[in-house]
Amino acid sequence: MRPHKLTIGGLGLGVLGLLSAAACGSTSTAQQQTKLAANQVLHFAVFNDFDTLDPSVSDLEVDSEIAQNVFDGPFRYDNNLQIIPDIATVVPTQANGGISADGLTYTIHLKNNVTFSNGDKVTSKDFLYSWNRAAALNGPYAASIFGPVVGFAAVQAAASAKPAGGVSTQQNIENQLAAGNSAFMMSGLTAPDPYTVVVKLANPAGFFLSALTLQATSGMIIDEKVVKNDPVNWWSKPSEFIGTGAYKMTEYIPHQDMKFVSVPNWWGTPKPVLTQVNIDIKASDTATQSTAIAAWEQGKYDLLGYGGSSSLPIADILRIHSSSSESSQLKLIPKGRTTWVSFMVNASYNPTTAAGDPFTGTSQAAIDLRKAFALAIDDKSLANIVCDNLVCIPATGGLITKGLTGYAGDGTDPLAKFDATQAKQLLQQAEQLNPSYTNEVQHLTYVYNQGGLNDSVAQFLQGDWQTNLGIHVSILGQTQPPFIGNRLKGDYVMSRDGWQFDYNHPQDWYDNLWGKAVLSADASTSGYDSATYDSTLAQADKLPLQQALPLYAQLAAELQAQAVYIPLYYSVGTFLIHSYVQGAGSTTQADYYWNGISILSH
Amino acid sequence: MTRGMLIYIGQRVLLIAFTVLVVSFVVFLGIHSLPGNTFVNERVRGASLALLLHEYGLDRPVLVQYWDFISHAVQGNFGVSLVNRGEPITPIVLRELSVSAELGGAALVITIGMGVLFGVIAALRQNTWVDYVLTTFAIIGYSVPSFVIASLFVLIFGIWLFDVTGGSFYYPLTWDGTYGTLIELSVPAVALGLFTSSLVARITRASMLDVIHQDYVRTARAKGLKNSVVVVRHALRNALIPVTSVLGPLIISIITGSVVIENIFGIPGLGKEFINSILSHDYNVTVAVFTMYALLVGVANLAVDLAYTVIDPRIRY
Repeated sequence: MRPHKLTIGGLGLGVLGLLSAAACGSTSTAQQQTKLAANQVLHFAVFNDFDTLDPSVSDLEVDSEIAQNVFDGPFRYDNNLQIIPDIATVVPTQANGGISADGLTYTIHLKNNVTFSNGDKVTSKDFLYSWNRAAALNGPYAASIFGPVVGFAAVQAAASAKPAGGVSTQQNIENQLAAGNSAFMMSGLTAPDPYTVVVKLANPAGFFLSALTLQATSGMIIDEKVVKNDPVNWWSKPSEFIGTGAYKMTEYIPHQDMKFVSVPNWWGTPKPVLTQVNIDIKASDTATQSTAIAAWEQGKYDLLGYGGSSSLPIADILRIHSSSSESSQLKLIPKGRTTWVSFMVNASYNPTTAAGDPFTGTSQAAIDLRKAFALAIDDKSLANIVCDNLVCIPATGGLITKGLTGYAGDGTDPLAKFDATQAKQLLQQAEQLNPSYTNEVQHLTYVYNQGGLNDSVAQFLQGDWQTNLGIHVSILGQTQPPFIGNRLKGDYVMSRDGWQFDYNHPQDWYDNLWGKAVLSADASTSGYDSATYDSTLAQADKLPLQQALPLYAQLAAELQAQAVYIPLYYSVGTFLIHSYVQGAGSTTQADYYWNGISILSH
Repeated sequence: MTRGMLIYIGQRVLLIAFTVLVVSFVVFLGIHSLPGNTFVNERVRGASLALLLHEYGLDRPVLVQYWDFISHAVQGNFGVSLVNRGEPITPIVLRELSVSAELGGAALVITIGMGVLFGVIAALRQNTWVDYVLTTFAIIGYSVPSFVIASLFVLIFGIWLFDVTGGSFYYPLTWDGTYGTLIELSVPAVALGLFTSSLVARITRASMLDVIHQDYVRTARAKGLKNSVVVVRHALRNALIPVTSVLGPLIISIITGSVVIENIFGIPGLGKEFINSILSHDYNVTVAVFTMYALLVGVANLAVDLAYTVIDPRIRY
């Protein structure tokens, strides 16, 4: 029997009705899932207290990742580590006339709607004050950022002279800047109008914009009116911790907590959804971090890993990773940090160390010996055993971390190759060329700073050298402060070394780790330097990035040919983020900004 | 208060001041002789390191630095932190002292309360199962180090009983650095006070056994007084005299033990600050904490000695 048309119609209507109901339900569910919570308060813990949040002198990762939400500079890094305008209207290039043809003059045009959180308008005068102050204070990044600017060295000299009358150095700098003392101002920094800043470099510097963009450091803009009241402690007082960012501080209790609220009518975008951010300041020991993880699991914290605290205890990470209900909330994000073993290779850098050091020199014997120790290490096994292939990956593409500009590619670093047979052959060759090595290698000590993965790594290295070379290397763990100081003076024959990148430019690595500049500053672990290295580096630093890359690659090749290091691993940051926290995460460099985060109904 | 008492207090105060001075000097010299400083890293070196050292006066001779420290410390200003650059230390230390005092006070209540109670019960129930249980408990209490007890408590309350406690006995979820709740305090306070309360229990038991066999106690019973009145009003007061005499060392034991307990339980008190400041080379904080501890110990001993005169009117200075 043919179905009656009313029956067909009724069925059709019924199906249509069902589909509509399903769609409405889905929409309701979708709406419910994306519905914002009424309480837009983000709560997390950090595992280091702040050094200082004054961007001119701040240094620690926890400092910058919190302060980046309070301060802005002319540019910022987007989530792909590309430089985009922030307070500036556009990123200067030669094409848009922002950079002169000779690469010496940068013209930065400012937006005219930027204000500090106290309502003060930002003009070019604030740029001059902030940058001259940063240069005078000579914070950790001042030389990297303003070193190329005309007049930087003169400002440093003026600021380093001890002031008379018992005035502190920082107060003296404020006084001099307020008085307009030109000795404290970089002559290459000018402001032709309230919304234009012109920077003149003494020499071309292809890395200048990259360095200047580094968040929450010397390139950030601060308000002279609040800083001059208390140049040292202004950052710790809510009424004076003023910046141009989307958030401002409302409370800081040292060793306890810090609170922020969003700035009403903030000039930037995206507008903040979170109204408040509460940060608990905890100690960095493993027990405290495990406690905090348990608190996160109970819902007290919305996320963990922010604020430079992304090296969570591996035991807890493994547990959460294997939990079906929690593993989706664990985010493993590569951080731009590489760890390696450094050899002290320069006898003249630290003659005392060199006396018993078989690794010094550029002779074939020394190179073979260093290569032997490098090839004896199985990086893949290390990443598996020490990091469970979760919190680190083998460093096989050079010392610049995977994902950054200058990374050579997986498997390209010859020093990362594990070959126990070749390692033994190289050791024998070295001992034949220099018989004293046979005795000297029996008295080696690998020194490292205790904590995190370092103890396990040291034991792994000791095991591999014993198994693959038959050499017993003692291991010595030290606390951080003496270790770093001694290592930079070249006190250790073999030591743990590492670098976390600041800005995405190879100059950040090659200028700060090897070469004559770090040697003269007594800041070189390996003491490595050569005329070729210095000249190639100087040339590369002047060029735009794309032109400089082949030269930086030559530097990498030189370090590898000399076997100056043993690559170990690239770090992976661990973040615990509840599913209702939208927009949270991290780039290789830093946490996502708070003004991109919101809390969903849950 | 008699003239003799005032002279005694004056002498003790002078002695405390001298002790604090010596402790602060020795610690100051010691911490400044440790290699390295808190500022140096790959970025802070050369001229910028020299500038920082100068800013905080660390490039001056050590004796000059000490004189600067002590001349401000007597006015209550312990200087500024080197790790939290420029942050005044005194408010931090005072806040953390209040946390430690709260924990220490709770431990002291447990020490005296639990210790005296168990000691009295054990004495009154001599040679019964009650006595044996309490004595065994006391022996275990003072045989096992406090950090072992603390770790066991973490295991029991934080892990085995997690579903029951929700971590609230262990994890200081709402600890705001000033005053904890009763639940937050209870487990660390018991861990800290168990050792001392066990000692007090043993001493109280022995002392009580001695006192309750005295003639005046027998007389009190013969007069028809209730047992509780005889024990509390007549026997206990005399039984507490030996307990009071060891209270000073017990308080010191609580003060020093709190360093370990605070680190195990993550309590933001002086003990935790002490360890953190040493590891991070925050010289000024380390010296301030040490000085504070020396002062606490001196004042605690003085308070105990003065309390002695209240317990035993025969004692006069």
